Amino acid sequence: MTELIAPNVVASSTRSDRRRKLVQKLLRGERPYMLYIAFVILLVVFSLSSPWFLSIDNFLNIGRQTTLVSIIAVGMTFIIIARQIDLSVASTLALSGMAAALAMSQIDNSWIVGAVAGLGTGALVGLINGILTTQLSIPSFLVTLGSLSMARGLAMMVTNTKPVIITNETYFAIFGEGSFLGIPVPIAWTLAAMIVGILLLHYNVFGRRIYAVGGNPTAALYSGINTKLITTTAFVLTGALAGLAALVLSARSHAARPDVVQGMELDVIAAVILGGCSLFGGRGYILGTLFGSLIIGTLNNGLVLLGVSSPMQLVIKGAIIVAAVAFTKR
Amino acid sequence: MELSGSVAAETRPSASLAMVRAINKRFGGVRALRDVNLEVRAGEVHALLGENGAGKSTLIKILSGVHALDSGTIEIAGKPVEFDSPAKSREAGIAVVYQDLSLVESLSVADNLLLGREPRGPFGFVRQRALLARAEAFLKELGIPLDTRATVGSLPFAYRQMTEIAKALMGEVRLLILDEPTSSLTSDEVRILFDAIGKATRRGVGVIYVTHRLNEVFEISQRVTVLRDGANAGTFVTAETDMKRLVNAIVGTDRSASIVSRNERAPKRELDRSPVLSLSDVSNDRLRAVDLSVVKGEIHGLAGLIGSGRTEILETVFGLRPLESGAVELEGRRWLPSGPADAIEQGVALVPEDRHMQGLVLDHSIERNVTLPRIPHFSRWGWMQQRAAARRAEAAVARLAVKAQGASSLVRTLSGGNQQKVVFGKWNDPRPRVLLLDEPTVGVDVGAREEIYAVIRNAARDGSGVLVVSSDLVELIELCDRISVIVNGHVARTLARGEIDDAEELHHLLQMYQAAGPGPLQELSA
Repeated sequence: MTELIAPNVVASSTRSDRRRKLVQKLLRGERPYMLYIAFVILLVVFSLSSPWFLSIDNFLNIGRQTTLVSIIAVGMTFIIIARQIDLSVASTLALSGMAAALAMSQIDNSWIVGAVAGLGTGALVGLINGILTTQLSIPSFLVTLGSLSMARGLAMMVTNTKPVIITNETYFAIFGEGSFLGIPVPIAWTLAAMIVGILLLHYNVFGRRIYAVGGNPTAALYSGINTKLITTTAFVLTGALAGLAALVLSARSHAARPDVVQGMELDVIAAVILGGCSLFGGRGYILGTLFGSLIIGTLNNGLVLLGVSSPMQLVIKGAIIVAAVAFTKR
Repeated sequence: MELSGSVAAETRPSASLAMVRAINKRFGGVRALRDVNLEVRAGEVHALLGENGAGKSTLIKILSGVHALDSGTIEIAGKPVEFDSPAKSREAGIAVVYQDLSLVESLSVADNLLLGREPRGPFGFVRQRALLARAEAFLKELGIPLDTRATVGSLPFAYRQMTEIAKALMGEVRLLILDEPTSSLTSDEVRILFDAIGKATRRGVGVIYVTHRLNEVFEISQRVTVLRDGANAGTFVTAETDMKRLVNAIVGTDRSASIVSRNERAPKRELDRSPVLSLSDVSNDRLRAVDLSVVKGEIHGLAGLIGSGRTEILETVFGLRPLESGAVELEGRRWLPSGPADAIEQGVALVPEDRHMQGLVLDHSIERNVTLPRIPHFSRWGWMQQRAAARRAEAAVARLAVKAQGASSLVRTLSGGNQQKVVFGKWNDPRPRVLLLDEPTVGVDVGAREEIYAVIRNAARDGSGVLVVSSDLVELIELCDRISVIVNGHVARTLARGEIDDAEELHHLLQMYQAAGPGPLQELSA
């Protein structure tokens, strides 16, 4: 039979080509540069209107304020790419923080026990979310709407809504107040989560599968991919990251409270969508998410510095998020 | 006298209904249409042929107001028109029935037919009974056998399509455009569709009929216009032309010659007798005691009507549908397919029926799609070997002659035939032991179809056992070494290639087995 020859055989890529591809890969999006332009515009506007905005201290401040959202948003990126949603992350954070603090107070006041309890609780909530979503085929919106309420309720029940004080100095140093290579640890943990996220999503087999499951679940199934396992893993990852965020928060405030960060799931989802993830699945990237959450953090910070009243802050933030999404989409 | 005169007017359409003159359309650097002309007369079925990318869709989109033309004119019933929106085109009496339908699946047939035009009572309440009555009367007049109360989503595809056509005819339609209406219909359903088209033309509606199936052109159209590379390649009176001339016009003279010679050279292979895949007494919710074997290097066809269980046989082998009783053997070893992952590991590959829904992730690159079922092959300790994956994808693009910029092109941007080649590319390397194909050339143009046949023949020659489901009987005759007739989830009969002469004969056989049911005929043939 005749050999079929392609009309365009693509030449093997050169080194500069590859470097360009790497940049494209990390920055990719619908309109890749819009997001970064939006961020820069925001920085310029705030720098011009507030003398306190443009300083290293303030930027570290923004970084610290953004950590919780950024860490969880890494997991949420995986979930949204897989065509799912997790509304329970803020409640999971609260429950994980309580678990960590209580475990430490019960067992040897050991920071390792606290860390394992916090991460484990988060991962367990994620596992339950994932199993209910995939095995019972309940939409994750409903599953996690339920666990949002249940996790928060459990967090309040364990101590009858009282906070649990933490006294372990090592714990504070590792998760909240120390610094690593000169970087405050909350920011270092955020960077670590980002890097792990980038490796997993863009370089690991898991990432390929996540994109396929979200891009077309049927085609993924027909290609021999265990879509349920992949989806569940994304939920576990997100739960564990909520646990990590809980460690950071509780180490910073020297206590775990059951009523913290209510409504933060919306900031997390907004950050991920701002960062270029498609709510219809199959598209998204971690660096976009980082900038998405930086934009939200910068907004929060800048509006406070400008002395905008907090109700007005909410209105402006909401409007800017919608405008930015409209702007970055086609 | 008067009577015969009016009959003559009906049967010999002459009034020019739509006149398209010297249309040009450019997308960026690509000239999609170059001075294209088309004339459709009232009461005429005018077939529009051409390979994917020849400009058919662009022309249709211009007529339906989706795209604006760069230059040229359109006249409807002698009056020049300009469409800047689909609504304008609809107002001028042009209705398009697209391949992907535009019905509300959760509503009934009647609701869909009168969507937006519901008979209303006081305060805007819908007069349900009047709505049903009107829809029923209309369908009866057209002779379309549809249950007006049925929910559209629950209907088989063919009936949804009929609903779509009926909906188009319900408005004041003068020009009806059908885009590949039969691509997923069985022969009986095609009959019903052609009847409905006949009823429309008798009312003076002009029809533009886009298809890839040449035999339909001869059956239904009065004239044919062929587009090639965005320009007119000829307009023929159907009765005065033949298949060969049309193929020449579609693919250009040189290439059609090579296609014909390739077909004539189709090698007669000596088949190894050892079965790669055998099913014995396999039953489940849709299958009844299926006995079937595919030997090494064989192309084995499954013929039958939609819903007869052809697809379900493939799904059962691929582990998508649980086996209730019976046995599956792969190269003589007993195997219980537990799911697609298991099947793939065993060397079973499936090219599914619906490449958009089941075969491809449209928004991802060719590379991502091709490597999808083989991710473990391109990874070490869980990390992707990106360069190996890219190389493999480039190789597949080259080997299958996928017309694309490169392996990083998004699959959505490719034509139907090239998308299908990508689906084949997923299973190209390593060679599958069993290759399951479900309607492998639906929506694929004539030229690419031959290339896909070549891919299938190559796979068989390299030793895969191929099991292919197709509604296109010509395709089965052309490809297969043996053909099994499936009726009601059962293999009614398996025929060797020599036992059957042509598609016509196969068609009659299908009808006969379908009418008789599987039981008695099986005894008769034994």
